[in-house]
Amino acid sequence: MGSKPIEGERKVFMTGNEAVAWAALAAGADIMYGYPITPQNEIMQYWTRLGPKYNKKFLQTEDELSAGFTTIGGVLAGRRAFTATAGPGNVLMQEPMSMAEAMRIPTVVVIQQRGGPSTATVIYSQQEVTLTCFGGNGEGLRVVYSTSSHQDLFDYTIKAFNTAWKYRFPTFVLSDGYQAKMRESVVIYDPEARGIRMVPTEPFLGKAGTPGEDRPAAHLRNTYNIEEELLEVLSKDIEEYERVAPEIIEYDAYNTENADLLVIAHGVVFRSAAMAVKELANQGYKIGYFRPITLRPFPREQLRQAAQQAKQLLVVESAYGQLLKIVQDNLYGLNVPIKTLLRPGVGITPEEIAEKAKALLAGKEA
Amino acid sequence: MPRVIEAYIGEYASGKSENAVNRALELAGRGRQVNLVDLDLVEPCYTLRPLKRRIEEKGITVLAWETGEMIGLGEIGNLLRPEVRFCLHRPGDVILDVGYGVFGAQVFNLIEGADRNPDLKVYVVINIARPLTATVPDVVAHVRELGRADGLINNSHLGDETNIEFIQEGARIVDEAARILGIPVVATSVLEDLAPLIGDRDCRGHPVRVLKRFMPRAFW
Repeated sequence: MGSKPIEGERKVFMTGNEAVAWAALAAGADIMYGYPITPQNEIMQYWTRLGPKYNKKFLQTEDELSAGFTTIGGVLAGRRAFTATAGPGNVLMQEPMSMAEAMRIPTVVVIQQRGGPSTATVIYSQQEVTLTCFGGNGEGLRVVYSTSSHQDLFDYTIKAFNTAWKYRFPTFVLSDGYQAKMRESVVIYDPEARGIRMVPTEPFLGKAGTPGEDRPAAHLRNTYNIEEELLEVLSKDIEEYERVAPEIIEYDAYNTENADLLVIAHGVVFRSAAMAVKELANQGYKIGYFRPITLRPFPREQLRQAAQQAKQLLVVESAYGQLLKIVQDNLYGLNVPIKTLLRPGVGITPEEIAEKAKALLAGKEA
Repeated sequence: MPRVIEAYIGEYASGKSENAVNRALELAGRGRQVNLVDLDLVEPCYTLRPLKRRIEEKGITVLAWETGEMIGLGEIGNLLRPEVRFCLHRPGDVILDVGYGVFGAQVFNLIEGADRNPDLKVYVVINIARPLTATVPDVVAHVRELGRADGLINNSHLGDETNIEFIQEGARIVDEAARILGIPVVATSVLEDLAPLIGDRDCRGHPVRVLKRFMPRAFW
């Protein structure tokens, strides 16, 4: 066995959870911290099966609070560390990730959404959008990639480490239980073979030299004495987040020019939306789609550009209006009508989207 | 033909359920009485759940939980369905769809009479597109880890992107691994649309089993 988990590239058949574990290995992650929860368990399982061969570490903590804080600890020690969770675990994860946000710690968290609220189902939903984008008692200064395929899971898990370490904002890969468990082919690769350079990691604490003399003190704060002190730090972080956002933003769009209907969807639901839209476009309908890949920061200008040419919009998601709220916020001021297909906690097929879209295009639904 | 008692085990997502369901349907199609048993203790009933009624319509007895009969699947521990424990005592053929997990063939401890049933065959399903069973040494190590194995099934595929060359490459690797392990290759499984291109035997002379895909109907 070579020292690299993947030499060059190869096509394999696997589940989404495995794609994440292989991507973390390929990205040179040093350690995973985690607490078991369905449907992300096989990320841990495959990491612990594969890890020992490549001298990787794993720590099972007592809960997700601890998994999040130990991930921060690993990063502070200069390790490329990550964790993965879902549902109620994601709720607990928000407290440590708030701290990561406050201290600008480059954590990577993979979320496999399950049904909610609470324990709900272990299977699937898109109900952790609000939580993952804006969870915690802060302003949501984080990066959230929403994946829609195993290739995305592999690509964006690798990218998440680089985004986190380059910009020093907590970075999330947002997927779901269907993607976690579904099997499909995926090309796994050594990032270097694709010309992807991993951003080097460095310890935040315990650096050489005397603090204050040889280097600035590593004074990482998540608490302040007075309001103005906090405002000063936050203003600087917000300014920086907004400045780098255009470099981070990703989206996909099709047939958006003067569309009679623009379908907006993310994650695995986007796959259904894309199939429905392409099918109807082939039948001659003026229909397009817009897929935000980054839910934070959101591709605001790009969506506004597409939306203002459209006669109406259709937001489709396996939640009761979480993507919808983000879309409405970003389109504020435009008067294009927004229609919805909202199915919290269940999958949405291309046929269902096509049916809804046809009814809207025929003016049969207000 | 004597009673057919076969258990399908193997790496996660290797194709155990697909092969088990197809085998059960093939036997039932020949007019035989067939019991299909969901012995997945990690994700019970997800694998067969959406298919259960459809398979039952073909006259097969499916021993699997109905979703509504259980709560908190996957996390609160699992309950073995009582008739699963005694499935080998039922009349007719028995096809066991064994879930993944590190315990492999140890799961047969839960089945009454499995240790002394002379007809029971434990078949390991191998897909070389699964990274942990991609090479001959990987397959050999994997099968040895499972404990008992009476034969291998080459189920090498890449989903919708499968081609004949890939299946034959799987046949060569599985054949070589079986030789080292000293057990037979039972079959090469091939999707029905590719079956006409390969014929009755794979490149190593092992029989071809034609698969219909059912699992895309199962979300998990």
